[in-house]
Amino acid sequence: MNIGAAQAARPLESIAGFAALLREHGLAVGIPEQQAMVQAALRLPVERCAALAPAWRAIACHDARDWRRWPELFERYWFPQRVRGTARLSGQTRPSRNLQQLVQSLHDSLAAGGAPRSAPADAALQSGALAEEPDATGQPRAQGGASRSEALHDRSLSMWLPQDLALLERLAEQIARRLRRRLTRRWHAATHGRRLDVRRTLRASLRTGGLPVAPAWRAPRRERPRLFILVDVSRSMETHAQLFLRIARAFVAALDARVFVFHTRLAEVTPLLRSDSAAVQEKVNAVTAGFGGGTRIATSVADFHAVHARAQLTRHARVWVLSDGFDADAPEDLAEQLARLRSRGARIAWFHPSERPPASAAMGAVVARGGLVERFHRLNSLADLAAVADHLR
Amino acid sequence: MTDAALRESLHRAGYIADEGLATTLWLAGELRRPLLVEGDAGVGKTSLAAALAQAQRRRLVRLQCHEGLDLAQAAYEWNYGRQLLAIRLHETQPDKVREADLFARDYLLERPLLQAIASDVPCVLLIDEIDRADEAFEAFLLELLADYQITVPELGTLTATHVPQVVLTSNGTRELSDALRRRCLYHYLEYPTLAREIAIVRATLPAAESGLVEQAVTFVQRLRREDLAKAPGIAETLDWVRALHRLEFKAVDDAAALAGTLACLLKTRADRFQLGEDRIRQLIEGRRSVGVAERAPQPT
Repeated sequence: MNIGAAQAARPLESIAGFAALLREHGLAVGIPEQQAMVQAALRLPVERCAALAPAWRAIACHDARDWRRWPELFERYWFPQRVRGTARLSGQTRPSRNLQQLVQSLHDSLAAGGAPRSAPADAALQSGALAEEPDATGQPRAQGGASRSEALHDRSLSMWLPQDLALLERLAEQIARRLRRRLTRRWHAATHGRRLDVRRTLRASLRTGGLPVAPAWRAPRRERPRLFILVDVSRSMETHAQLFLRIARAFVAALDARVFVFHTRLAEVTPLLRSDSAAVQEKVNAVTAGFGGGTRIATSVADFHAVHARAQLTRHARVWVLSDGFDADAPEDLAEQLARLRSRGARIAWFHPSERPPASAAMGAVVARGGLVERFHRLNSLADLAAVADHLR
Repeated sequence: MTDAALRESLHRAGYIADEGLATTLWLAGELRRPLLVEGDAGVGKTSLAAALAQAQRRRLVRLQCHEGLDLAQAAYEWNYGRQLLAIRLHETQPDKVREADLFARDYLLERPLLQAIASDVPCVLLIDEIDRADEAFEAFLLELLADYQITVPELGTLTATHVPQVVLTSNGTRELSDALRRRCLYHYLEYPTLAREIAIVRATLPAAESGLVEQAVTFVQRLRREDLAKAPGIAETLDWVRALHRLEFKAVDDAAALAGTLACLLKTRADRFQLGEDRIRQLIEGRRSVGVAERAPQPT
């Protein structure tokens, strides 16, 4: 018996291995999904096994992110020979995986058992065969290039993988959830509210002959704070700006943040970050192309305050500045401008790519004045963002 | 019915589905699982359910979700007016009516979800724009989607005699719960390919000239690659081709004349502003501009 046939004789293990690969890449594929995958394979005739890919995709994917990741993962597991650029170690043997053989052997085992349609697969599933990882030794094993190591490590930007982007999105959502919600003066309709909605109650009572059988309630509305992100895209920040913009973009999606870029002048780039386009960096470059060299943080902050966000800078606003703090304006100007922001109630956090908080003259003045910047955070990788997540309120 | 047969009957119902979508729909029927369809506005999520109902010769029951949607609007409601009337009618004969009589099926107003469950014949249940409903409503749906039953406290649990084929659509205005997602099969509808979109337009507007349809759809496909706030969907393409046909255009070649018809495709002021006459001409000719220089389109 060759390797392929041996593998096909254990179709459930193949499916379990595939499910394990999907889980490693963030897809929520548990036992119910694996059961459904086996069911789908059993219901498809052997000659239609090509239709298994869309069928399994519908089962294993739960959102658009999973949906986009699927083709690569599917090819990588079932058709590794088609995946370009994969390095193979000499002497490495990989059991061949053949979908047609898998479907065939599932059908064969069904015919041999003479059991009802889903019995063999279900029995195997109940006994936990699919739940186990395919490698009985328990050793972490590379599967089609996917590693079991945590993606959350310090990795340079050029080496970002789709799962890192997914992680960034999750982190942004997590931070967005943690930011303290503000209580507004508006009330909205809610099933378990604490104030009677007289108008709606009376309107509803008309159906019951004027008897308020089903009272309607209202609850106070809580809104997330407004977030403004100011990203320094000057020459000194060239290597970090891309990371900062990606992080800013994640917050645009998660919290509807407004993002501004600056070096000698300030420009809003929120609409550019909102669309899911690969050319974001190009567009941001185009926006800032006419700006001269150097960095004028104080002027930019003044512009931000006076022109762009005047009405929204309340005590519920959070302003995050992503910069190394080297300012070409007079050193005391930055402290002055930040103080004006603070006086409107906005809470300011400063993110710097360096190991220690920026030691420029302008930042020295800011620190000396005290109480302007709530906290300085190091931000040079995703791991840093995960670390500061707890401190952002 | 096999997936190929389903695809064929969807085609006859005027919906051009690709192979993957047909397989997913077929599987949803086989496994009796609801199907969650996501995608940009205008890619044909809602019309998919309508076409499915037509293809399977089933009744379509539609529930349009919105903020504040509650059980009374979605599942069932007691007909209070009729109950009060019954009480008044029998006031003189108190022994003729009992409390239990007032909570019989006669007094129950069936809303879309209960209609689908209680239907005597198989039906397709479309729960449209589920992301607009509240989380509490989503939680209520879990029982319905898992066991195809609705519990009415006064009557007990009503179980479906014929399991309806459920299609949920979402535009992604709110993140849906994992519990709901995991109960459903999932399909993400992309914008159609050029060939598929031409086939869709031809199926819907057979009177339009073939050459005009091809040129118009090619233009729309190029337009979608532009950085627009609201990319035109299939419905917009159909509107536009219909307008061109009505205005007796023979070809998509005159940028100045086309500018007046672009109201069918561009729905925001910013997009309209972005597409000047020069840009329209470039799109018609299939040129892409990069900065000031221009280059020929990339082979696709």
